[in-house]
Amino acid sequence: MKKSARIAIVTMTAALAAALMLAPPPGWGQSNNEKTQATDDEKAKAAAKAKQIARAFEANARKLTIYDRQGKVVATVGPRAIYNTPVFSPDAKRVVVAKADLEKEIQDLWVFDIATGTSIQLTFDKARENSSAPAWSPDGSRIAYVALRSGAYGLYQKASNGQGGEELLYKLPGVGTLTDWSQDGRYLTYHSSDLGGGTLFALPLETKGERKPIEAFRSSKQLLGMRLSPDGRFMSYTSNESGKNEIYVRPFDPAGSSTAAARQISDQGGQGMAFWRRDGKEFYYLGADRSIMAVSVSTSPALEIGKPRVLFHPAEEIAVAPGTSSVSRDGERFVISVPPSRLRQLTILDRQGKVVKTVGEPGVYFQPAFSPDGTRVAVGRNDPKTGNNDIWTFDVATGKGYAVTNDVWPDNSPIWSADGKQLAYVSTREQYSGIYRKAWDGSGQEELLFRYTPGAGVGFSDWSQDGKFLTFATGVLLIVPLRENEKALDRKAIEWIRDENNEGGGRFSPDGRFLAYGSDEADPVDFAGGGSLDVYVRPFDASKPEAPGPGPAVRVTKGGAQIFGWRRQDGKELIYMNRDFELMALDVTTAPTFRAGTPKLLFKLASPQTAISPDGISRDGQRFVFGMPVAPGAR
Amino acid sequence: MTSRICALVAAGLWVAAGAAWAHHNMSALFDFNNRVSLTGTLTKYDWRNPHIYLTVDVKGDKDSVETWQVEGPPPSFFRIRDVTKDDFENASGKTVMFEASRARDGSRTGLLRVMTLPNGKLVSACPQNC
Repeated sequence: MKKSARIAIVTMTAALAAALMLAPPPGWGQSNNEKTQATDDEKAKAAAKAKQIARAFEANARKLTIYDRQGKVVATVGPRAIYNTPVFSPDAKRVVVAKADLEKEIQDLWVFDIATGTSIQLTFDKARENSSAPAWSPDGSRIAYVALRSGAYGLYQKASNGQGGEELLYKLPGVGTLTDWSQDGRYLTYHSSDLGGGTLFALPLETKGERKPIEAFRSSKQLLGMRLSPDGRFMSYTSNESGKNEIYVRPFDPAGSSTAAARQISDQGGQGMAFWRRDGKEFYYLGADRSIMAVSVSTSPALEIGKPRVLFHPAEEIAVAPGTSSVSRDGERFVISVPPSRLRQLTILDRQGKVVKTVGEPGVYFQPAFSPDGTRVAVGRNDPKTGNNDIWTFDVATGKGYAVTNDVWPDNSPIWSADGKQLAYVSTREQYSGIYRKAWDGSGQEELLFRYTPGAGVGFSDWSQDGKFLTFATGVLLIVPLRENEKALDRKAIEWIRDENNEGGGRFSPDGRFLAYGSDEADPVDFAGGGSLDVYVRPFDASKPEAPGPGPAVRVTKGGAQIFGWRRQDGKELIYMNRDFELMALDVTTAPTFRAGTPKLLFKLASPQTAISPDGISRDGQRFVFGMPVAPGAR
Repeated sequence: MTSRICALVAAGLWVAAGAAWAHHNMSALFDFNNRVSLTGTLTKYDWRNPHIYLTVDVKGDKDSVETWQVEGPPPSFFRIRDVTKDDFENASGKTVMFEASRARDGSRTGLLRVMTLPNGKLVSACPQNC
């Protein structure tokens, strides 16, 4: 052992011993009452954290489900868990899959035997490490994967029966996603893609000395999911170079970056999961509408591509995505990690929690919001045909729907103008998230109100009743003044509250004199399931929007609040939903100063999997609109 | 990032905060494949959301001093990692070593991966920034 290392160990040991001797025993200097209180608080926080993790598990746990070419379920494998990237073994008898552990913040790889459902754990992550993106060797004896080890990502391999240690194949200089092990066993293919563009790599395995990846193709657009054809002459991948994701094939040149022209395989969008059958005669991918697509192909003597056809279309409630599905080498089986149903029914409840009315048909809805007069509901909707998230409005009386947006960009967070004629919403376009507005029925031109810094998300939460301010959050609570005659791109966000706490969900009082917002000041969020946001209220001065008005923040809730809003009609009530999905209401006064009463229970939601929004509270506080879970097949 | 999103869901913040808590997609500003390892004096720290900022004076050529701005995860990221504001307070004015992904614009800014404090404590921003 080197001298310096020995000194370091001795020093560390001495320091540890000293620390243990000097450190007071737990609770030292506290009274018995204080100790009991502290213990009770810790127990309560631990219990709340466990409950949150359990809820997150229920909301996200998936079932590994095997389908045949007609879309018939032929098997389910293993228990429900938070699975990602399931991949068949070459003989289709086993599946390797990444399984997340929310409590430990790790993700390990597991191998399941399809016939028996038994499993072995392949990787053993330490705290906050992860393993992902597995690929089988052609003979099924080994599995390669990406793993974060000691702060760096690398490509590793290990025996598929779990025996022996893992072997580092290549230390990635940054990040990468492994997509395949070529069928001749010579290459691992992976991609590195981000907002700066994408690169496809092939890592030669049969080299002497240090392995060096081949840069197979680079683009300023995103490149994902490279797989080599069985004869190794072509590579398939997903790219957004046309403005939407499509599947492409181009020649693979082991000497370096390909300059030959690409051929498009998908004809109406392709999300990914591009996969060659073992004989190279058929090709599969996930269509834009989440259909499982097949294409006849030939790579010799020349590349020939047939017309894509639908093999089957998974039910709408199954959120199949490239990272949650794959194909067997013989093209006979498809594995999807099926999440809980996403179908929701827009449902209006009264203050006692009784169902008053349902609106429209079940769909994949999020963030439902009442119009000021209560006759319409705006909502985010995932279109089952395109997979796009758009903003819709529905007439409460008739259920008739209007597409406010109908674009390829993800849109969310619809918020009504005070007069009910327009909607503001967030749309993310290339690198920019912005807040736009448009007429409630989708007519006319869309107007950009504000555009934020590139790459940054916008947690839009309110549009003041006078229409002069927007508020959104990034952990910082921001205000955007909408001054007349100011161009949208010139508008700047003001950091209204910026400190070490997480703040967000700002809601203007109807008179515009106060802002309610969520903060984790009292119970810091730790990103491992612990902590919660409570509601606070501070004065807002429209003539000085740079910072909160004078006076301390008034804490309104304890124990956490998920959504909250003012009774818009008169501002005399705040309504919030706590972490146990109970709707609570408390009387408030805003003049001369803000005062809050004692919260009273209105009702408890039956399911935590409900689509909710602070704008789901009607103006008079008498009605609430939610997206209630409905059973698969309810459509 | 996935685990962070899961944790946000677990914490019940999703609805209140929207999907924006990560503030910005780091890959838009920083090149994860272009890293720099430097040693210098921690002259300033800003322990606030949405990211902490560290200012480090690094000795350049011919005794010149290059000032680097290093961006890290939010304070809440460090809460369960036994890293506190006091760690940076105690390191102020002292020598630190850090590794960061460089900014795409070529400026002397970086996204923190790991930092070794004067007392030997290792501050890791992984997996978020790895």
